[in-house]
Amino acid sequence: MPMVLLECDKDIPERERHIYLKVDGEDTRDFLPISNAPTIPGTLSERGCSFCGAKLVIGGVLKDTIQMIHGPIGCAYDTWHTKRYPTDNGHFNLKYVWSTDMKESHIVFGGEKRLEKSMHEAFDEMPDIKRMIVYTTCPTALIGDDIRAVAKRVMADRPDVDIFTCECPGFAGVSQSKGHHVLNIGWVNEKVGTVEPEITSKYTINFIGDYNIGGDTQLLQKYWDKLGIQVIAHFTGNANYDDLRGMHRAQLNVVNCARSAGYIANELKKRYGIPRLDIDSWGFNYMAEGIRKVCTFFGIEEKGEALIAEEYAKWKPQLDWYKERLKGTKMAIWTGGPRLWHWTKSVEDDLGVQVVAMSSKFGHQEDFEKVIARGQSGTYYIDDGNELEFFEIIGLVKPDVIFTGPRVGELVKKLHIPYINGHAYHNGPYMGFEGFVNLARDMYNAVHNPLLSLAAIDIRGGAAATSQEAAE
Amino acid sequence: MNSEKLDQLYTYVQERCLWQFGSRTWDRQESIDGVLGTASDLLTGKPPTLETPQQRLFYADAKALVADFKARFPWISDAGPAQVRELIDGLKAKLVDITITNSRNGELNHSLY
Repeated sequence: MPMVLLECDKDIPERERHIYLKVDGEDTRDFLPISNAPTIPGTLSERGCSFCGAKLVIGGVLKDTIQMIHGPIGCAYDTWHTKRYPTDNGHFNLKYVWSTDMKESHIVFGGEKRLEKSMHEAFDEMPDIKRMIVYTTCPTALIGDDIRAVAKRVMADRPDVDIFTCECPGFAGVSQSKGHHVLNIGWVNEKVGTVEPEITSKYTINFIGDYNIGGDTQLLQKYWDKLGIQVIAHFTGNANYDDLRGMHRAQLNVVNCARSAGYIANELKKRYGIPRLDIDSWGFNYMAEGIRKVCTFFGIEEKGEALIAEEYAKWKPQLDWYKERLKGTKMAIWTGGPRLWHWTKSVEDDLGVQVVAMSSKFGHQEDFEKVIARGQSGTYYIDDGNELEFFEIIGLVKPDVIFTGPRVGELVKKLHIPYINGHAYHNGPYMGFEGFVNLARDMYNAVHNPLLSLAAIDIRGGAAATSQEAAE
Repeated sequence: MNSEKLDQLYTYVQERCLWQFGSRTWDRQESIDGVLGTASDLLTGKPPTLETPQQRLFYADAKALVADFKARFPWISDAGPAQVRELIDGLKAKLVDITITNSRNGELNHSLY
């Protein structure tokens, strides 16, 4: 079976190149969806913008940094509070949002003065905060505001502050993915190597591509602490700005999200000779393998085995309880990109769950190579899916639960299909051993929720007709 | 070469191992050569080379791979050095073919990351 043209796509036949149904005997040499390509006119994409990829996904996670968004107020609001990445300093990054609040007159006459004033105002209002990232947005990029020059002036006025500029307006690329790229490369070009970290262990790593969603970073940190491994920088979960300036001193880069942060891992390898180890942090089997590999690299295998045994003893019975009750559940994963290939085998192996459809908003062909290699035959693999396609795919594969974002989640709830927040989690963390039990619990509660069947019953009786008349 | 045994190893690596899917052609080639070369050493009783950080990483990946091979495919423990080397060479060739030579990934040869 080659690529699939869905019924709903008959007027936009180009979509056929983005949807693949795997069958036995085929592999990625035969078919590979087009991805990281412009959205086709006529399709209602679920993608975010490139600015969002830089700010919401990576930069905005930092716990000690002002995120100055140079643009209209909506660019700030729409990339704030839609992801849950707590911190151990009182969630500074979630409490505050900053914007230059550009209006028409600033667009006409230029916004640099307003930006400079806003930057000083933010530092004055928050005297303990000495780090800032400044982002361009679509309008300020179009009028050519030179945010780097403004940042230089502010740093000259305030010698105790450090500012990073990220010039990635929403239109810079086809999706969030461009924002990941721009921030990665900009950071390694301008900031890595500008701080010397204090080394406290013989074993040092950077943990790259984990954003402390629901506390992931903090959970994994317990493992590194037990192993005696110093994490110089988490890129960027629960991290400080200056941690990331010292990334050049780690002995090993451990990469979880290869899509959003593989770039900086590649550059650190090329420029500083730090090898890159890709792991999966979701799932028992995968997490154990990742710990084993890190420990083998440092020659501390016994410590790793002791940690794995301890965690298995604590959490495996709970996982197995859920596995017994989730076996055979049909799951769809409609998230950004990497969670497709991180999750498809881990839920299958650890929970007996069958993944029947997967859609990626911003994955590249590398992500589809990985997920098609790992995923099952009979499963749909979709790039940049739209709502009508989701409806049609649901009809074809009939999933019991869908892991996706809140917007698509609301859509599928109307079909009485439970959804789990696949981006920010329902009750995270989901990484590590404890985290995968949390994922299993959320899936169990969703699939076996008695409200699900009750919700399908119309108890309005005669009132239903009244409501309909009122609506008309 | 026993193609059934080779297919078992290939299917397992495709499904399991992230190191074969580096960002660029040269990353993939380096990992396939490095990890499988070290795995071949381990399976044939040769001490692995651990002089550089990258070699230590190849060893970490190879050690996990060999443990999985032995657990899933018990016949590999009984294979002689010549057969192991032949199988690993065959595995390398198949992985290079799918991840590099005939890969449809249009980003593999960009000069920059």
